[in-house]
Amino acid sequence: MVKWARAACSIVLGLVMAGSALAAAPKKVEVTFWHAMGGGNIAFIERMVADFNFTHPQIEVKAEYKGSYRDTLNATILAHRQKKSPHMVHIFEVGTQMALDSGIFTPFAQGLEASALRDLEDYIPPVANYYTINGQFNSIPWNSSNPVLYYNKDIFRKAGLDPENPPKTYGEIMKAAEQIVRSKAAVKGITWPLHSWFVEQWISMQGALLANNENGRAGRATETHLDSPAMMRTATWWKELYDKGLYAYSGKPEDWDGANKLFVSGQTGMLITSTSDVTFHQAAAFENGYALGTGPLPAPDGMERNGVVVGGASIWMTRDKSPEEMEAARTFLLWLTNTENGVRWHKGTGYFPVRTSSCDVVKNQGWFEKNPAYTAAFEQLLSTRVNRASQGALLGPFPEIRTIITDAMQQILSGTPVEKALKEADTRADKALQDYNRSVK
Amino acid sequence: MLRGGWIQSPLCMERCMNISTPFSSNRWLGLLFLLPTLLILVMFLYGPILETLRLSFHQVAFLGLREEFCGLGNYRDLFFEPGYRRMFQATLIFTFFTVTGGMGLGLLLALLVHGVKGGRGFYRLFLIWPYALSPAVAGVIFLFLFSNQVGLVNAGLDALFGRHPDWLASPALAMTVVVGAAIWKNIGYNLIFYLAALSSLPRDVLEAARMDGAGHVMRLLRVFLPLLAPMTLFLLVVNLMYAVFDVFPVVDLITKGGPSDATLLMIYSLYRDGFEFLKTGSAAAQSVLLLGAVAFLTLVKFRTYGRGIHYGGRQ
Repeated sequence: MVKWARAACSIVLGLVMAGSALAAAPKKVEVTFWHAMGGGNIAFIERMVADFNFTHPQIEVKAEYKGSYRDTLNATILAHRQKKSPHMVHIFEVGTQMALDSGIFTPFAQGLEASALRDLEDYIPPVANYYTINGQFNSIPWNSSNPVLYYNKDIFRKAGLDPENPPKTYGEIMKAAEQIVRSKAAVKGITWPLHSWFVEQWISMQGALLANNENGRAGRATETHLDSPAMMRTATWWKELYDKGLYAYSGKPEDWDGANKLFVSGQTGMLITSTSDVTFHQAAAFENGYALGTGPLPAPDGMERNGVVVGGASIWMTRDKSPEEMEAARTFLLWLTNTENGVRWHKGTGYFPVRTSSCDVVKNQGWFEKNPAYTAAFEQLLSTRVNRASQGALLGPFPEIRTIITDAMQQILSGTPVEKALKEADTRADKALQDYNRSVK
Repeated sequence: MLRGGWIQSPLCMERCMNISTPFSSNRWLGLLFLLPTLLILVMFLYGPILETLRLSFHQVAFLGLREEFCGLGNYRDLFFEPGYRRMFQATLIFTFFTVTGGMGLGLLLALLVHGVKGGRGFYRLFLIWPYALSPAVAGVIFLFLFSNQVGLVNAGLDALFGRHPDWLASPALAMTVVVGAAIWKNIGYNLIFYLAALSSLPRDVLEAARMDGAGHVMRLLRVFLPLLAPMTLFLLVVNLMYAVFDVFPVVDLITKGGPSDATLLMIYSLYRDGFEFLKTGSAAAQSVLLLGAVAFLTLVKFRTYGRGIHYGGRQ
């Protein structure tokens, strides 16, 4: 009986709600949001959007998963050609210059009221820094990450290393890796995916630039600095690690899973990868029964740590929409990344919150005592200096230049002299940059 | 007798239809029936081909948001830039080894299976099996086999010789793995065609050779190979097409064109330029080149295939 009554009640309620929704339908502002968060994150985002729509009866947000970052950007450009572009698009950091040049987006901060502008100051400076272009808050940072060192405390103990004190410099990594291999605690010392992203991080760590015109931030970049001393230092160290049999990788470029597998299976004692994998590695350590430690991204010896470039992606707004729709999109984006949702986002996905206030909440809740692996990521982020180097480069053909850098590193590992490979990469990247710049003029 | 019947029947059908259809004189009705096919061809084939040709003469930004005519600029880059020269080189090396290796092994296995007395069906089934897998599956299998630290091959080499080469990090070895995967995937195809050809070889010639006392090698070189030549020619064309156009998933899954472009085949480079680097103009120029190659090979294929069939039917 009770069951029946309950069912009847819910049906009536549903009808009433549907009725009111129908009645309110003409007033609702509909905005679409295309994102590139796959896997379990799709459901998480759906839930957040449903919450927003429930608490904002005037607005109806429709979120759609559009595949990879590249697919999402490509789909947006094609939709724009047919005048059907979405209101909000999720774009990866290396697509920033390309998205700017496409001319189909508008800066987030444009036309924002003073109080809302003040609200933007709550975004963590190094994060906001990346997405500030021409002095304007351009897009809303959402899923941000940077690289940290993960290490297996059990292997450290076996090798006679201090499990509570991870290596922090190039030299210390070399020594720790040597000790791990010599003591046979693991087959290899360290692994990280062979990916340009890490090279870019180490350039920033040394306070160096990847391209001219202040990393393409003061004006359009016309030349890359792929053969700079900072690049040489990093490549030489990497090659030495590899030549001594201390560095392992799957042999395939950009193989994130391959690096994770090597570390989780205990073949290496250390791993450098994105902070967005903290949740995965905590679970993997628990399942495989080893103790996980994290530390900051190692920096060259005797140099001051400048900090990391905040990777990940942000949400852009497209132009040529009605003022009501723009307003609705802004409301949604600020809501999506507000203090409370930042905390929820961090705990649900492992990406760190993008607001200082969210960080404070997480800290006060004693989250780090329960999840110490997150500490390194937060400390590294909050201690990053805000300057052109850590702001990251803006390059139109960044995806192509990434492939060029990855190629060069692979050549270096397989025997090409460091200087020759980097010089060649520099020439290739300059050519790509010039071709691109010519095509957008 | 049976074989003769096979050949006769389609000819008969053709003849019968010519006589009896009253519609055949009505040209417009015929065109009407053709219209759906034509529409589909124009929309999905001829249209895109023309558009690709047009794009290949332009410098295109943002998937066509901006276009600028650049004449033969894209083609000039293709032929004179060192990066692309490496791509052509890799494509040639890959094609050569995949085609010769695949056909050589296919023939060898076919001869062995052909000579087996019992359980021929069993061997045939298991040798053809890889062909039934999708190229993506083949790619993943080889990726796991040849992974540096967790791969099965290196586990074996390590146990036997204490060595574990970096298969995917050295240009020559990576190319070997990709060629190996491509050959393995396609070997069943070559095998089955060669088996079919072998079983329809004229017995009198083979018997005569045996009576004359020709040994295994002699029979292979002087009897089998010449008799199989039409089939070999046909397979050569099909294998060429396979090696040039169908190996995208293998490269994508195993090496992504690396290390340092050593396995960057044309079909993969085209995809990368078009969809990852958004260099639509350059990608269009590459697909025009590929289109030319496929058109040429198809022409050769149709000609050789016709000859291959005549051969078996001659009494």
